[in-house]
Amino acid sequence: MAAVSYKPYFSAGLKEWIFTTDHKKIGIMYGVTSLIFFLVAGLSALAIRLELYQPGLQYMSEDAYNKALTIHGVLMQFWWAVAIWGSFGNYLLPLMIGARDVAFPRLNALSYWFFFAASVLALITLLPGNHIRMLWTGYPPFSLNDNAGPVAFYALIIHMLGASSLASAINLVVTNLTMRAPGVTLKKMNLFLHSFLAMNVIQILGVPALAGAVTMLLMDKYFQTAFFDPTRGGDPLLYQNLFWFYSHPVVYVMILPAFGLISEMIAVFSRREIFGRTSMIIAIWGIAILGFMVWIHHLFTSGVPDWIRILFSYTTVLIGVPTGIKIFNWVFTLYKGSVRFTTPMLYTLSSIFMFLIGGLTGIPLGLPAFDIGVHDSHFVVAHFHYVLGMALTLAVFGGFHYWYPKFTGRMYNELWAKIALVLVMIGSNLFYFLQFIVGLEGMPRRYADYPAIESWIRLHELQTIGSMILGFGVILAIANLVFSTKIGKKAEDNPWQSPSLEWLIPSPPPPHNFDKIPHMPEDWDPYHYEWLEKQHKKH
Amino acid sequence: MKEVLAYPANYWQTMYEIWLFISVIIYLVVFIPAAYFLVKYRYKKGINEKAQHAKESKALEVLWTIIPTIVVIYLATQSFAFYRVQRNAPEGAMEIKVTAFMWGWEFEYPNGKKVFSFFNGVVDPEKNVYLTPEKVNDMFKAYIPAGTPIKVLLTSRDVIHSFYVHPAKVTEDAVPGRITHMWFQVNKEGEYWVFCREYCGTQHSKMAAVLKVVPKEEFEKWLNQGVQTQNITDRQNL
Ligand code: HEM
Ligand SMILES: [Cu+2]
Ligand SMILES: [Cu+2]
Repeated sequence: MAAVSYKPYFSAGLKEWIFTTDHKKIGIMYGVTSLIFFLVAGLSALAIRLELYQPGLQYMSEDAYNKALTIHGVLMQFWWAVAIWGSFGNYLLPLMIGARDVAFPRLNALSYWFFFAASVLALITLLPGNHIRMLWTGYPPFSLNDNAGPVAFYALIIHMLGASSLASAINLVVTNLTMRAPGVTLKKMNLFLHSFLAMNVIQILGVPALAGAVTMLLMDKYFQTAFFDPTRGGDPLLYQNLFWFYSHPVVYVMILPAFGLISEMIAVFSRREIFGRTSMIIAIWGIAILGFMVWIHHLFTSGVPDWIRILFSYTTVLIGVPTGIKIFNWVFTLYKGSVRFTTPMLYTLSSIFMFLIGGLTGIPLGLPAFDIGVHDSHFVVAHFHYVLGMALTLAVFGGFHYWYPKFTGRMYNELWAKIALVLVMIGSNLFYFLQFIVGLEGMPRRYADYPAIESWIRLHELQTIGSMILGFGVILAIANLVFSTKIGKKAEDNPWQSPSLEWLIPSPPPPHNFDKIPHMPEDWDPYHYEWLEKQHKKH
Repeated sequence: MKEVLAYPANYWQTMYEIWLFISVIIYLVVFIPAAYFLVKYRYKKGINEKAQHAKESKALEVLWTIIPTIVVIYLATQSFAFYRVQRNAPEGAMEIKVTAFMWGWEFEYPNGKKVFSFFNGVVDPEKNVYLTPEKVNDMFKAYIPAGTPIKVLLTSRDVIHSFYVHPAKVTEDAVPGRITHMWFQVNKEGEYWVFCREYCGTQHSKMAAVLKVVPKEEFEKWLNQGVQTQNITDRQNL
């Protein structure tokens, strides 16, 4: 479309990067920060796995283990699984709707810098003397105990992140609703946009609950209030309720955007519109709404009344229905397609089938009859590693590859990308599948050490080997993405031949995205691949 | 029902098997068509370069909404039925009170006899590794009569812990300021682990106890041996 050629958005000096309000640069900054913390969290996980290789404490003390696990959990959840969507959302959302930036560009920059401040705080807690050892859940009364470390840091971190997420969520919702170019109607929004809309709405409704919970925690610890301290009339379960009122929905904040990415990629590489598009949209909102009605499944063994456990077991398993709808529709998107097995497509398919395992193993956790045997065991850890560690992470890496030409103007190395994926799949499944088994056999989670039960030792050894293969695969994938920014082949503007708006402008996009705001014709649709062919014929 | 090692683990096991069976079927129902489509509709130069038009199908959408709904409601209802049994101790169960603390367990029997199990009682003090249950000093072990239902009343003295009886596949949190409950029954004599299942700080991973399951007569004898005096000195180890 562009007649004049501009310098790409990323050729800018350091000062320009720091003071930028350009959604693309901010997206990249989110992505780089997120990825760095992903590596830190991954390394601490490998240290954990090394320690669990054999019973006994070989490499670290209990405290060091608990610290490493806190770092791993907090960083993976907030810096990777949540914040990475700050990257995709900021970068792609305005492009997909045909806008030149988000609705409030300065607020957007502020969101990032709040996130940056939280990142600095998180790094400070790695220094000696500032270690937090209360894990990402921070349950009182333990978190009020000195054994937990400086809670103030945790509360501040959550507040910084919360401010950042709220500002960003409001910004993206407003952008999506008010700044769509003519012709990009609500009906023609792609599923990426729908997922991000739902995800941001969850953020707006949920974050305040968590912010409230950690504020009360902070006050209990430092200002003598007694919200959660049972020795002074407080109730520790209040915290758990507030915490999970946000922190269960937040798993949909993590996974809904992944679904959005999967939908984009599976459609493009099957060359046909998403099957059952309307029910996909209904399913997204169904998940978002039901997501707020299931938090008690985290409290199934915590002493809440039995009838509440039963009630929430029904709501919990019902979430499987909209989730199932999404999976079936993805499968039928392949039907009568013309399927291309590119790297992003392979990541997408892997993500779907790993998600299926993650989802199916989530269902019994919603059944108290089963949950009482595996609650807080490695079975749970395996379940969310299939969902977050695999389905989400594979979708993100699929997205990295898919939009790589858009972000950088270059192509990644196809062969290395595929080798990395194979390694990741072998390593992860060896690791996480055996994590299920050891969990079924009763291994409690958050254990630095375990008794020398023969089968547990074997299972832990193999898990550690799997995790090392996985770690190697991830490093390979990232190295490929990093080096290709310099040595990758120049990419075409629209290498995947997608009519979605972000692909109709040059890759990488010029600083202002669109020379003029596009007017999309009646017959255009982000999933109508024939439309693009017709356009080609016209020219 | 003779061979069942422990109750209510049998219900857990059945629930697990039902779920596993259904899950494997669902996995195949998704995977087989997907694999078939991937092969059949793969891009082939000159043959399958373009997707064909596939019509939306209301019937399919309804089908994969209704059937999963029925399946999950069945599962939740089955779980409900089992859970009633798993939660509610049978009549005549022996009641013991368990109080968790950082880091150990206090067991109190109906006649007031107490057993303290400390984290450092289950590890080898020199190497800081777990002992096998048999090697743990008998005075730290909670004796349990075989084949008798035990109702546990749980609470905690400091932070939240969780009382997980390994052979019985059941855990319930010990929450300060509350009394929670659970029950189990072990049918086979032997020594079994109890683990703490809620993170509680440095020694969480060593917060285990040993249940020594013995014949009823032996248990009675042990119970009436009176309160052990070692407890006082043990407490000072805290
Ligand atoms: C190199 C890859 C990874 C390895 C080796 C790894 C390993 C582990 C292990 C062994 C645990 C359980 C430790 C215990 O309970 O004692 C754990 C917990 C956890 N992992 Fe990972 N993991 C990896 C990737 C991920 C990813 C990608 C995510 C999320 C996006 C994630 C999120 C979590 C969370 C939230 C916990 C729970 C922490 C807690 O109990 O507070 N992990 N991880
Ligand atoms: Cu404990
Ligand atoms: Cu514990």
